[in-house]
Amino acid sequence: MIVFASALTFFFVNLAPGGPASIMRFDVSPEQREALIRLMGLDRPVPERYVEWLASALRGDLGTSLLTNEPVITRIGDRLPNTLTLAGSALLLSIIAGIPIGVVQAVRRGKPIDHLLSLVTAVGLSVPVFWLGIVLILLFAVSLHVLPSAGVTAAGSDTFADRLAHLALPALALATTILPTVVRFTRSSTIEVLHEDYVRTATSKGLRPFTVLTRHALRNALIPVVSAIGALVPRLIGGTVVTEQVFGWPGMGRLALEAAQGRDYPLVTGLTVVVAAIAVLASLLVDIAYTRIDPRLRLT
Amino acid sequence: MFFRRPLAIPALALVGLLLVSACTGAAQPGASTAPSAQGAPVAGGTVTIPIGADPTLNPWSPNAFVESLFINRAIFEGLTKPGKDLAPAPDLAESWTTAADGLSWTFKLRSGVKWSDGNPFSADDVAFTFNDIVLKPDLGAQNRASYAAVKTVTVVDPNTVRFDLSRKFAALPSFLAYNAGILPKHVLSANPLTTTSFNKGVPVSTGPYKVEKYTSGQSVSLVRNDNYFGSKGYLDKVVFTVVPDPNTQIAQALSGDITIMILDNKAAVDRVKTASGLSVVSRPLVQYYWLALNQTDPRFTDVRVRQAFVYAIDRQAIIKSVELGYGSIANSPITPALAAYYDPSLASKYPYDPTKAKDLLTQAGWKADANGVMQKDGKPFQFTMDVGQRGVLEPVNALIQQDLKKVGVIADLNTMEWNSYIQKDVVRREYSATVNWWTYPSDPDVFPYYHSSAAGKGFNIPGYQDPKLDDLLVQGQSASDLESRKAVYKQLQAYTSETLPYLFLWYPQEIDVVSTQLKGVPELGLRDAMHYLGEWWLAKK
Repeated sequence: MIVFASALTFFFVNLAPGGPASIMRFDVSPEQREALIRLMGLDRPVPERYVEWLASALRGDLGTSLLTNEPVITRIGDRLPNTLTLAGSALLLSIIAGIPIGVVQAVRRGKPIDHLLSLVTAVGLSVPVFWLGIVLILLFAVSLHVLPSAGVTAAGSDTFADRLAHLALPALALATTILPTVVRFTRSSTIEVLHEDYVRTATSKGLRPFTVLTRHALRNALIPVVSAIGALVPRLIGGTVVTEQVFGWPGMGRLALEAAQGRDYPLVTGLTVVVAAIAVLASLLVDIAYTRIDPRLRLT
Repeated sequence: MFFRRPLAIPALALVGLLLVSACTGAAQPGASTAPSAQGAPVAGGTVTIPIGADPTLNPWSPNAFVESLFINRAIFEGLTKPGKDLAPAPDLAESWTTAADGLSWTFKLRSGVKWSDGNPFSADDVAFTFNDIVLKPDLGAQNRASYAAVKTVTVVDPNTVRFDLSRKFAALPSFLAYNAGILPKHVLSANPLTTTSFNKGVPVSTGPYKVEKYTSGQSVSLVRNDNYFGSKGYLDKVVFTVVPDPNTQIAQALSGDITIMILDNKAAVDRVKTASGLSVVSRPLVQYYWLALNQTDPRFTDVRVRQAFVYAIDRQAIIKSVELGYGSIANSPITPALAAYYDPSLASKYPYDPTKAKDLLTQAGWKADANGVMQKDGKPFQFTMDVGQRGVLEPVNALIQQDLKKVGVIADLNTMEWNSYIQKDVVRREYSATVNWWTYPSDPDVFPYYHSSAAGKGFNIPGYQDPKLDDLLVQGQSASDLESRKAVYKQLQAYTSETLPYLFLWYPQEIDVVSTQLKGVPELGLRDAMHYLGEWWLAKK
């Protein structure tokens, strides 16, 4: 599947109008443009270049970036941890906040608190990340001066607290792209489960409502939520592009944007391969998580 | 807080400064500018400047885009640099002369210059930079087209180089001040343009500051170059932070995280003006916006049509709405920043006058139909303007479209992503009309953008061809002294304003947002002011 994705990307980016940024400059002479095309090997047919790329990719070499002449692996390797930190924090944030909110809404279904939280999540779903990002920066960095506006660390400082402070705003902004979905899934599946016979049985046994909720209901209610989270991973990765751009976060999303705008063919292809691998890995993890929480799927 | 190591550095810098000025008698930073209300320069502090993307620290790399200019101009020195009046000033060369026949230029190099790694700088480095990089066609070095007249660079002695030319090239000293940093032969001889540890790491350079650390996607920091030949810089550190989003850059300036930056989004200028601790200054640029009408389209070869368009476009309204007034009307390629050459008498040549525009179109054989649309041979005057998504181009095109509509000309806008736009309009020349701009070295030699030899393939975007203009362009390159050059370029301005090879729109100004603590920055565009980083200093709060 990953090979298929790489082939598709390789052909599509090479067929896209334009060319590598170095030759698509206003101030490049035709003679210089030709020299660069030859230098980058772009005068050879696309299928020939793909076969060559695939052969070296299978040996672990994803080629050389046209924009910086660095190995694609190095460029992605530099940025991947930052993106994983950002996306992981956003995911964690939306799980920690989203599941309790959804449960509260389910338990208090139809009550004012349910309506209020529904409104908040609806707003969260419809606000674009770049706008929210700028608002967060203006509020927390410019007006209140409590959090830094951009970057991973302040220049010259590299403490855990500093990193955490820099992570706060982008993680919050990115979390809003998936938080409403987590809340909605939790709410609807909890409501469904609360009507199941075994919940009624547990309640009539005289267990406290909190115990019923956490021990019996939630366990089953979370199964569809976990699968939803798995499906949200690609959206999360997509959200990093905008978030990283606004917050100057040096991750893969920004790299992807630069690579696409600059027509860095090997880098775009390399990034697609890595993202495809992450998506495959995420769905694998979801499948494993299933077997842990769904008693019907328990192995052995 | 600006004195991390109390006294030692400022004291050393001051002593160094005094010693050097005593020895050479040359004008030194701080010494030349009379002590002002802010007092004498003090050493120390960190200046932070935002850049839009990771820079490529090699002025000749084809991948060194606009974000690279700041650092490259600060750390690499050319033979010359733009003077504070934009005329070429000494940098690595102390003086230069042209031969009687104008077919060579000889540059006397400064002696005792060292690279930041301690190795001596010599004429070999200059010869290497040109002969082995710029003049090598297969490397595709950036800006190499500017040196088409240079045959070779000869080392006369370790402190002298000679540029041998195939034709006269009076603008050479100015061109050498424009992104033409000299590279170290002893580091780059194997791989001049693609050495990653140099381009994306810690390059070896000759300027007052050198790279301390390059962190991809985050920042590049500069510290003083202890091997610098001149007096030590005042600032302890200069940090370039990579902040891709222009609005985030503004937010950072407002929160005090940035010392100086170019305000690309001029709409924010009023917000920034009210912020405490920040000032807003405007700076001249060697840049002009134009509308190119493809000369392969017979409708645009009639000069009356081109003049009609200029009368029809309300350029003052464009300057007011998209530049917030920071700019002036252009009627020739020579910008007011080139004060020695600019002819201000042309500024009012084409006032906004739709009636005159319609008259000229009528003279050219166009007749308005019942709907007011101009017609000729039963066909309406209609064409497509390609719009590249960058800077102010989108709103400008929308305004031009409205103005042309008022005189019965229909321009359909075709907005395109930048990269695809360049391929279609610049590489393939498949366009009818398009708006863009030129930025060029601080010299009126605009040969590459106007000469008929560049029509249809080089930088002559409209493909305009005119033997009289060609003649003026060659005369400008051949005239050796300032007065005769002034005379030629005055004629050239008058001629181009009449014939309109490009439709000249406006000369933009740059708006810089500057911390009120920052002093010593010359009144140049910020990218040019980087050549003077050694003179910048921070006043204490």
